[in-house]
Amino acid sequence: MLQAILHRTGVGVATLIVVSVLIFVGTSVLPGDVAQIILGQMATPESLAALRTKLGIDQPAYIRYFMWLSDLMSGDLGVSKAGSGIGTIGTPISEMLYPRLMNTLRMAGVVSLVAIPLSLSLGLLAAMYPGTRLDRIVTFSTLSLISVPEFLVATFLVLILAVYLGWLPAIAYMSGNETGWQLIKALAMPTLTLVIVASSQIMRMTRATVLNVMSSPYIEMAILKGVPRKRIILRHALFNAIGPIVNVIALNLAYLVSGVVIVETIFAYPGLAKLMIDGVQTRDMPLVQACAMIFCATYIVLIFIADMATILSNPRLRHPK
Amino acid sequence: MKEVKTFQQMHRDGQLNRRDFLKVMGALGFSAVAANDLLIASKALAATPVKGGTVIFANNLHGPDDQMDPIVFTSGIDYTRGVCTYNGLIQILDDMTLHGELAEEWTPNSNATEFTFKLRKGVRFHDGSKFSADDVVWSMSRHLGKDSPSVAKSFFANVTEWKKVDQYTVKAILSSPDSDLPIKLGEKQCKVVQKDTVDFTKGNGTGPFRLVTFQPGVKSIHKRNDDYWREGANFEGIECTAITDPIARINALLAGSVDLVNNLDARGIKLIDQSPGAHVNSTPSGQYGGICCLKNTAPGSSDDFVKGLQYIQNRERVVRSILKGHGMVGNDHPISPAYGADHCHELPQRQYDPDKAKFYLKKSGYTSAELFVAPVVGGIEDACLMMQNNLRKIGFDLKIKKVPNDGYWGAVWMKEPLNVVTWNMRPTANAMMGIQFAPGGAWNDTFWNNERFGVLLKESLAETDQKKRHDMHCEMQTLVHNGSGMVIPYHTNILDGVSDKIHGIKNVPLGSLGAYTWPEFAWKA
Repeated sequence: MLQAILHRTGVGVATLIVVSVLIFVGTSVLPGDVAQIILGQMATPESLAALRTKLGIDQPAYIRYFMWLSDLMSGDLGVSKAGSGIGTIGTPISEMLYPRLMNTLRMAGVVSLVAIPLSLSLGLLAAMYPGTRLDRIVTFSTLSLISVPEFLVATFLVLILAVYLGWLPAIAYMSGNETGWQLIKALAMPTLTLVIVASSQIMRMTRATVLNVMSSPYIEMAILKGVPRKRIILRHALFNAIGPIVNVIALNLAYLVSGVVIVETIFAYPGLAKLMIDGVQTRDMPLVQACAMIFCATYIVLIFIADMATILSNPRLRHPK
Repeated sequence: MKEVKTFQQMHRDGQLNRRDFLKVMGALGFSAVAANDLLIASKALAATPVKGGTVIFANNLHGPDDQMDPIVFTSGIDYTRGVCTYNGLIQILDDMTLHGELAEEWTPNSNATEFTFKLRKGVRFHDGSKFSADDVVWSMSRHLGKDSPSVAKSFFANVTEWKKVDQYTVKAILSSPDSDLPIKLGEKQCKVVQKDTVDFTKGNGTGPFRLVTFQPGVKSIHKRNDDYWREGANFEGIECTAITDPIARINALLAGSVDLVNNLDARGIKLIDQSPGAHVNSTPSGQYGGICCLKNTAPGSSDDFVKGLQYIQNRERVVRSILKGHGMVGNDHPISPAYGADHCHELPQRQYDPDKAKFYLKKSGYTSAELFVAPVVGGIEDACLMMQNNLRKIGFDLKIKKVPNDGYWGAVWMKEPLNVVTWNMRPTANAMMGIQFAPGGAWNDTFWNNERFGVLLKESLAETDQKKRHDMHCEMQTLVHNGSGMVIPYHTNILDGVSDKIHGIKNVPLGSLGAYTWPEFAWKA
């Protein structure tokens, strides 16, 4: 067990380094650098050269990469190039990241608190009574929702709940002094959108894996013994199905942290994914790198937890021969 | 009727005079008597400013590169924060008239090479310190010099020095005459900051609002400055944020989540017109969408080729169907009627003429070309597709290469032989012409170098006789219209969405929402 953990941690760190190189190469291939983006239409060769020297980006890419890597090892994420503009002091990346990270985690937390119990219970219900009207309704509606892109779900919700009914605000804008009910109202719309998107997938996975286990011989044995269906599912089938379910939950959680840029844009919610896109658009390398590292680390940690859960829930994996 | 209400509001807020109001009502089918009744009714709408209320403004862009240092202001949200926090020496109000802000009065010497500014006394910065000539000299000198990072430094290339005369008098010394200096000082980057400021994110200015929080790419919160040196703002507080998605921006306005939005897509206007609670402010401007044909390379080097592209522009149709009427036809030079007296109304409008286009293109010898198109300004992609279609009808094959906005100014503009371009309106015709067409200039994006044009550019700045000045500008516009590689089919209007609760926003052609001057003058009722 310990060996497995160590092995996986090593693989995780290696993945992080590979990703950081890829990101570095990827952003250098993009046309234009941060100096060109800052000066935009107003750039001249002299002003570009002056700004590049000022920002320290006139060095070759590999030197900048190792400078960044050594700073990171000492816990320094660096200073935003774009925000530092010209003549003014740059904002430290950590200062920019922290509130955004908190926003993202808050949203991901609220969504998973609603989505995971909801989708697990709906999935189990559908698996308990396959072929019934309940199962058909759940299967059909989740299949429809999975196929609709999230910007459409979001825009529809805004049109109905905000523009026509006026129940909820159209954007998740927060002045900073919201409490209780106001905060819930501000977050309701993006949460609802993400719950719809995330839970459909978890629910379908739950139903499919549980039903798959239900067709195995040992369940047939239990049925023949006369064990009640509810007990079969909750006691015998669910634990054997937990591996795939936990993995799909982990992937969805990682998506909630890193991939919700569309929802963040539509609801003007200041999260981490939008920050990374801004970073790419302004060619702000340190910012892009920092965001990429956080996203990559999130994936690695969540998948690691999911794998551990799979192993722990399955005696055959827990005690390998 | 929705239109009537909008026009009534415009009349009440001083954007539409009595005569124009009656004219519009006539066009909408009202009798003269009925129109007059509507005029009187519009005055009855609350017309006196009301104090109080918080307003939320959603810009179309923001990001980690938002600034509070005036000399590097580049986007609408920067400008708005600048107007809240700082003052300039001079302010441009509607009709492009100038008013003293921190400067009480200004006087040029006889040949416009020296300007003396008398400064306002008793003005204080938000931290309580006194405003004086030192602050002005320091702030304005930051635009000067080769290494200055100021984005407005090209306006002040001929300023050699700002000099303090006494505690409340400063002088600007110029190397060549520039009668336009005062209007340039009204630009958004020319705000006065405290001498020796290092950390601009604190926003220590003399403006009508104090900066409470500033989070780049998220929001800023501003609170009314009760010690302001004049009457003061009406709003209790202002919050600035951005919604980058155009549809989400409109929805937020319609749902009442925000009060003001800018940069509406022409396609979204109908939606706002049909909904209660908000209306569209459409301001004619000098911004344009155009096509650059580089004169130093094929095919733009052929004057006949450029003429062919100019005659194939169905300008009226672009304005009517692509811009939905919120724009003006262009005449292949940047100076639209919004520039006022400097616009050359004598120059005949170039019309859509496929026969002439065919003749000139045939003469040029080209049968195909490739145009690089990015969505740099509203309507440009559709206008290019329309052009492609019209060219096909006369047997010319225009290939359109669509590229993203991202990186466009560095990788495509001024590099590819045919590319699209947009220029925002500059405060004066001379500044606009100078920045884009000065011979050998850094941003001469068609590489068109005309000696006579360069001479006129310099002479018109020194000319104080209005008639002669107009003639010079007319000649410059004619030169660009006939000789440069610019095809300018249309000028766009500035399109803003405004909640019906917000009143008193002036129309200034230099930018959204009264060129971002609304924080001080608008009110909520």
